[in-house]
Amino acid sequence: MDIDGDTEASSRRVQVRFITKLEAPLKVPTTSIAVPSNLTRFGLSTIVNNLLEARNPDWEAEPFDFLIDGELVRMSLEQFLLAKGITAEKILEIEYIKAVAPRKEEDPSPHNDWVSAVDGSSPGYILTGCYDHLGRVWKASGVCTRILDGHSDAVTSVSTITPEGAKSVTVATGSKDRTVRLWKFDAEEPVNHPLKIRAFKILRGHKASVQSVAAHVSGKMVCSGSWDCTINLWQTNSLVMEGDLVSTKKRKVNDQVDESQLEGEALSTLVGHTQCVSSVVWPEPESIYSASWDHSIRRWDAETGKDLSDIFCGKVLNCLDVGGEGSALIAAGGSDPVLRIWDPRTSAPVFQFASHASWISACKWHEKSWFHLLSASYDGKLMLWDLRTAWPLSIIESHNGKVLCADWWKGDSVVSGGDDSNLCISSAIYV
Amino acid sequence: MKTKLDNATLKAEEPTEEQQQQQKQKPEQELASDSDSSYEVSFSGDDSSEDAGSSKESDSVVSGSSGNEGFSNESNSDGLESGDDEDDQSESFESHEGVEESDSSEDEVAPRNTVGYVPLIWYKDEPHIGYDLKGKKIKKKDKEDALGSFLSRVDDSKNWMTFVVVLWRCARSMMSTMMRRCSWRKTEIKLVRRLLKGKAPHADFDPYAPYVDWFKYEDAKHPLSNAPEPKRRFIPSKWESKKVVEYIRAIRKGWIKFDKPKEEPRFSLLWGDDSGSAEKANHLSYIPAPKPKLPGHEESYNPSPEYIPTQEEINSYQLLHEEDRPKFIPKSFTSLRSIPAYENAFKDCFERCLDLYLCPRVRKKRLNIDPESLLPKLPSRKDLKPYPVTCYIEYRGHKDAVTSVSTEASGQWIASGSSDGTVRIWEVETGRCIRNWEVGEAVQRVAWNPSPELPILAVSLGHDVLLLNTGLGDEEQQNKIKDLLHIETPTAPRDSGDMMTSVVSWLQDDKYEGIRLRHFKTVSSVEWHRKGDYFSTVMPAGESRAIHIHRLSEKFSQRLPFKLHGLPVSSTFHPTRSHFFIATKKNIRVYDLLGERKLIKKLETGFREVSSIAIHPAGDNLIVGSKEGKMCWFDTDLSSTPYRVLRCHPKDITNVAFHRSYPLFASCSDDCTAYVFHGMVYSDLNQNPLIVPLEILRGHTSSNGRGVLDCKFHPRQPWLFTAGADSVIRLFCH
Repeated sequence: MDIDGDTEASSRRVQVRFITKLEAPLKVPTTSIAVPSNLTRFGLSTIVNNLLEARNPDWEAEPFDFLIDGELVRMSLEQFLLAKGITAEKILEIEYIKAVAPRKEEDPSPHNDWVSAVDGSSPGYILTGCYDHLGRVWKASGVCTRILDGHSDAVTSVSTITPEGAKSVTVATGSKDRTVRLWKFDAEEPVNHPLKIRAFKILRGHKASVQSVAAHVSGKMVCSGSWDCTINLWQTNSLVMEGDLVSTKKRKVNDQVDESQLEGEALSTLVGHTQCVSSVVWPEPESIYSASWDHSIRRWDAETGKDLSDIFCGKVLNCLDVGGEGSALIAAGGSDPVLRIWDPRTSAPVFQFASHASWISACKWHEKSWFHLLSASYDGKLMLWDLRTAWPLSIIESHNGKVLCADWWKGDSVVSGGDDSNLCISSAIYV
Repeated sequence: MKTKLDNATLKAEEPTEEQQQQQKQKPEQELASDSDSSYEVSFSGDDSSEDAGSSKESDSVVSGSSGNEGFSNESNSDGLESGDDEDDQSESFESHEGVEESDSSEDEVAPRNTVGYVPLIWYKDEPHIGYDLKGKKIKKKDKEDALGSFLSRVDDSKNWMTFVVVLWRCARSMMSTMMRRCSWRKTEIKLVRRLLKGKAPHADFDPYAPYVDWFKYEDAKHPLSNAPEPKRRFIPSKWESKKVVEYIRAIRKGWIKFDKPKEEPRFSLLWGDDSGSAEKANHLSYIPAPKPKLPGHEESYNPSPEYIPTQEEINSYQLLHEEDRPKFIPKSFTSLRSIPAYENAFKDCFERCLDLYLCPRVRKKRLNIDPESLLPKLPSRKDLKPYPVTCYIEYRGHKDAVTSVSTEASGQWIASGSSDGTVRIWEVETGRCIRNWEVGEAVQRVAWNPSPELPILAVSLGHDVLLLNTGLGDEEQQNKIKDLLHIETPTAPRDSGDMMTSVVSWLQDDKYEGIRLRHFKTVSSVEWHRKGDYFSTVMPAGESRAIHIHRLSEKFSQRLPFKLHGLPVSSTFHPTRSHFFIATKKNIRVYDLLGERKLIKKLETGFREVSSIAIHPAGDNLIVGSKEGKMCWFDTDLSSTPYRVLRCHPKDITNVAFHRSYPLFASCSDDCTAYVFHGMVYSDLNQNPLIVPLEILRGHTSSNGRGVLDCKFHPRQPWLFTAGADSVIRLFCH
């Protein structure tokens, strides 16, 4: 685009200065330049790319996003300035950041059945749960290293419980067979073909399908929400206790296996929800958040099991995540196309994102960023959101069918599973 | 008077022979001198008192004599007179006296006889008697015959007694003549006949003869009146001139004021509204034809450029519906000459004529009422949230129309039955089908056991009812279910004549690990009791054995011992009491199953064909859907007729449903829609239920003329499941 050309002399011009927090090769000179006021994000991005190219001839064009006074520009500069009431007389400071959008779609990793759960909290692998009763561990796209075999019904949720730095990995899976199973494997160990492993501990106690599993930060405990309206807390240690052994023997007889399998009972049960507990998260050691079909989000004291606070939404909630600024914002989605974000101090949602067309099945905050989160919906779309704008940053349409689960992976990828039985990985997202 | 009367009576009582003789003599004398009788009257003024006395005497004599002689002719009048009071008699005497006086003066006054004291005998041979004032001769009257002279003397009191005698004589003579000639002449007979017919007596008299006006008004030379014109006609009226002067003065002084002359409007509205002139017209019925629209600027041959549409706009007109397209598209011409002929001229003229001629113009009386104000005040829909609005999840997998859908107690699963011969269980949350039974026969109805501990599915297909183990629930429950669904020895129908025994056999079904209940007719509906032990089946063609109630734990069936009137359609248990509702084609019957075991209530729907029934979870209200597209709400406490009839669907209502906890109810129909209503039942008995229509749920497509076949609410969420003939189940969420 010819910025200084006479072709656009008639349109108004704005004096802007581009600033950034990005590293050296992405920095542009801070001198102010006049740009046409009808430029949109794309135009601004071209300018920045041109400027970068001027300094570095080998520069490859990259999309940027622009912030003016902490808000993302999603319309033409002129409209934006008018809408925000910013004067065009002064030199406008525009901060640019890398656009948050996937630049690469990796090949889908096929499953035997619907992918119901995915966990990408560990950078070394992706954990998925599937309707074929199995859990899987993926090293990369299409590379399955472990198969977690043992559930007798669809796996509904998976969660990594390994504390940081541990060599062997412990994961938990919840299933419709009313159990939570704990698995241990060495993620670093190279394998050529998928290894079947068995759960080292089976946690029984729920009376209906387990819907969600979350681990304590230390990894010593897991909690699980279920269709029987309760949240159970379990211990993850592999210490063999007297009571457990007895039942293990029984299992041995039944299953005719040599490996010892522990059984555990719930440490405590958090009762209070009146309907299915669809999602639990345990972001801090002391409090558990849970979302339920009874339209409420509750915060529980993990020690005492007391219900600390309630947020009522009016809709059935399917997914919940806590993160954002100060790791305190609650994002939840449910039986309507609106992703809501609450500040726990207020009862009304502070943000509502309504670009989806159907139920929201998953929502996750980005680990590092305060502003970014993703949402997955039954309309087959994944959306990346920034709190600084009401429009989705990008829409990923890798699935053809419902997206049942989604998570961030390695901080720059989005992993998602859907009813097309695929695990999709969209990578190279710079947040 | 009294004294006179007394005398008269006294005298009447003693008539003497002398008087009788006198009387006999007197008429003879008078008759002899009948020609000059009138003159005698006039001269007898002096001795009137004497005459009066004598007349009295004579009168009394007449009455006396008549009594003696006994003539029928006079006895009548005599009887009348004798019946009268004496007062009357006396009055008649008096009047006689008056008449006598007046007679003497008036009767003969007209030709005043001034004959003086000339003896009448002198005129005896002359044709006249004396002379009048002008000296003309007064002609003598023609001689009257005997009857005429008599009649002239009837009034004459002086001749009263003679009158009676004459009358008598006349009668006698007539009688004698009548006796003499008993045959009439021909002319006389004709005359009498004509009289009897009511015609003129003479044959040659023409009552309808043309009128001849003998007087000639036309061409009269002389005026009718010969009087000369009066003078006053030629003199100006003094009074009038006075009056004029008076008016002139009054006008000058301003006492008389004139109305200002009305100003005629100089211009009339040529194209104005005719509504005003219609009122002026005397004919009330006259309604002027509407005037055609006036041409505007855009119809100019060279309109301003802003009137001329662009090519894009013209193209966009093509997309519009023909009626919505503008009739005239403005075009610009350089001169008037270049304007082509108007292509629609004839068509427009013709249509205008049609408008004028064929379009009936009627004055419509319109009530100026805001239609909104007629609507009942209903709460806003926003305040009645939540209710199902949008479809978010579809459950796809069936190959044919989904006939029935049922929700599990917790709301995690739904079951559906389809015409393709499968029963499926779906996960509500994700829309995944988790189980699929190929039952091989079109499924009529599926019903999930309402007990959360017993996830058993009852399926009606054909003649059978299958009880299926869904495999959900924990191991304990599974064991229990397996026990329940195991039959040691299949029971054959016990048709021992007992009223209560049924004709249903319980068979173990190994293929589906369930129980098969074999009926003798097609089972249309299965309904569980709330506790999950009893269930009822309806066989519409089963006549007296149409409805059975089965007990799962006992594996025992019994038939409803009540006589049904009409074809049963559906049945349902009361949610709290031991009542049983049976919907027949026309009405709803409520039976008590425990206790007295009898018909408690009969609810009249007024529908032709009931299709479905649902009971409010509190049990006092129920809704009934009909195949006419109407739905009615019964308040059983209120009356046996519907509390409300809702005319909503244009086609058959296939099912109706109540929500278990939310104040919602729904109906689904073959028109591919489901309607959601707010139906609030208050615990206060004085307050009637509140019914508010909320939403029309669309989305299903029609297949084979059928639309939505079943609808069920989610047990815990304000969600509605609809099963469509398009083989899709939809979940509508709030």
